[in-house]
Amino acid sequence: MWKEQVMQVLERHFGTKKPITETSHFIDDLDGDDFDIVDVTDQVCKKLEITIPEEDTFNIATVQDLLNEVEKNIVQ
Amino acid sequence: MILVVLAAAGGGVLYVKALQKDLDTAKANIIKLEDGISEQKAVIAQQEKDFESIIKVRNDLEDLNRVLETANKNLNEKFNKLNAAGDRRDIGALSVNRPKSIEKILNKDEVHERRCFEIIGGSPLTEEELNATKKSQINTVCPESANPNYVTY
Repeated sequence: MWKEQVMQVLERHFGTKKPITETSHFIDDLDGDDFDIVDVTDQVCKKLEITIPEEDTFNIATVQDLLNEVEKNIVQ
Repeated sequence: MILVVLAAAGGGVLYVKALQKDLDTAKANIIKLEDGISEQKAVIAQQEKDFESIIKVRNDLEDLNRVLETANKNLNEKFNKLNAAGDRRDIGALSVNRPKSIEKILNKDEVHERRCFEIIGGSPLTEEELNATKKSQINTVCPESANPNYVTY
């Protein structure tokens, strides 16, 4: 359920012209930049009402990295 | 008769001596002129060097200006980017919500900008810069100078 919500945020933010998969790289595949990663992380946190510590988001590069961080903080 | 011949000979000797003196003066003048020409050549060579330096400084300044213009354009684009839904990026809000992340990004941009200045100043490209082919690997401020193998996709 939460994965779908994350994907919804990503599709709204990046559009659907380029397929978004778990292996998609935010910068190389989705044509984003560092601010986009911070932005979508922030949006996901708001949507799922969770908190992801900033230090844990510095190395987020792919959709899977983001999903891992979300999962970690939803479980906790 | 003898007096006339002696007078003529004496006059000839004096004339030749005067000619020799003039010749010596002319030789000295030629040496001075040659020295002057050498000095002028040195001055011209120095001026050519100075001119080349001025052109190099002007080109460096133009490169610097290009980097600053690109940096400014990049910042404007980054700060005002629209997402697919048409929402404008709100850097202010992001800075409040995730200040460390935004600071980290801005610091990274600053490092890129400084590196661009080094490259303009003649610093050779690193292996990492030469091998960068992906957007995530490039110098975002001056990719055309720092990452010759990167092709926009």
